[in-house]
Amino acid sequence: MADITHRGNPVHTIGELPAVGSPAPDFRLTDANLNDVSLADFRGKKKLLNIFPSIDTPTCALSTRKFNEHAARHPDAVILMVSADLPFAQQHFCSVENTQNVKTLSMMRDRHFAKDYGVLLLDGLYQGITARAIVVIDEHDKVVYTELVPEIRQEPNYDKALAALN
Amino acid sequence: MANVLFKGTPAHTSGELPKVGSKAPDFKLTAGDLSEVSLANFKGKKKLLSIAHSLDTGTCADATKRFNDFAKSRPDVVVLVVTADLPFAQARFCSGEGVKNVVTLSMMRDRHFAKDYGVLLTDTPIAGLCARSTLVLDENDKVLYTQLGPELTVEPDYEKAFAALK
Repeated sequence: MADITHRGNPVHTIGELPAVGSPAPDFRLTDANLNDVSLADFRGKKKLLNIFPSIDTPTCALSTRKFNEHAARHPDAVILMVSADLPFAQQHFCSVENTQNVKTLSMMRDRHFAKDYGVLLLDGLYQGITARAIVVIDEHDKVVYTELVPEIRQEPNYDKALAALN
Repeated sequence: MANVLFKGTPAHTSGELPKVGSKAPDFKLTAGDLSEVSLANFKGKKKLLSIAHSLDTGTCADATKRFNDFAKSRPDVVVLVVTADLPFAQARFCSGEGVKNVVTLSMMRDRHFAKDYGVLLTDTPIAGLCARSTLVLDENDKVLYTQLGPELTVEPDYEKAFAALK
C-alpha cells in the first residue's frame, strides 16, 4: 500500500508498483476495438504505460497529448494509456484530439490490472479507479522505470519516463 | 442468466432482473459529484432506472435524451441513468447534450449493482458492462415494471415504462 494525496488529502493504493528489475505482471485490457490485449500483443517492443484516473479529466488529457507528441520519436516503443474509462470515452478523446500515436487500453471488464500493478485507489473521491503512475517495460518485459505520482493532480515526470525508453 | 443479443450475436447476463412485486435491491452508485448514493437518497419518489452499457454509444444516448424529456414533465419521478461510464464521461455527455433532468449514476467503484440487478454481461465484446434494461420502482421501492432489452442496440420500450408510472 502506498500513500499519496488527491487535492492534498491522503489516499491509499492497494499495493506497490512492480519493482524495477522485476518481470512486468501480464495483463488483460481492452483496446478501442473492444479486443482484449496482453503483454504478448506488444512482444519485442518497449512499452511505456501511462496509467491515470480518467482521460476526461484535465491532467490525464494533458499527459496523453504530451506522450502523443513524443511517441513519434520512439518508433521501437508503444505508448499505452491505461485507465478505467470505457473504450468509448477513450475513443471520443482520441478522435477529438487526434492522438493517433498512442494506444488506449481500458479496464472496462474488471480491475485486475489495477490490483496487479498496485495502483487501485482504496479511498478518496477516486476510490475504484487508479492513481497516476508510469511504468516503462523493456523488450523482454522487464520493468526498467516506475513513477507513482505523489499528488494525483500533478503531471508525471515526462523527461525521466521518456529517457527510460532510450 | 438471461439471453439477449448484441448486434445479433447471443449474449448472456449474470442473472435475472428483480421480479415485479419484489422490493428493489439497494445499491451504492457514484453520482456526478463522486459522492455515493443509494435508494435512500431518492426516498418517497417513484424511480425509473435506465440501465445501459455506455452513454458514449448511440442508442444509450438516444434513450437518455428521451427519458430526460419525460423527466421534465414528471417532478414526482426521478430518472436514474446507470452505466459503467466514469462520472466524468457522464458529465461530458450531459453538458454536451443539454441533459439536465436525469440523474446519472456510475459503477466506477465496482460492479455490485450490475450483479445484484442481474444485468452484468458475461460475454461478447462488451462483457463487463450492463445489458440494456428499464425498471420502474414505486415510492416504496417496490418493482412495478421491468424490461430486459432483447437486443442491446435497440431502444427500450418507452411507452410501457411510462405507463407503469401512471
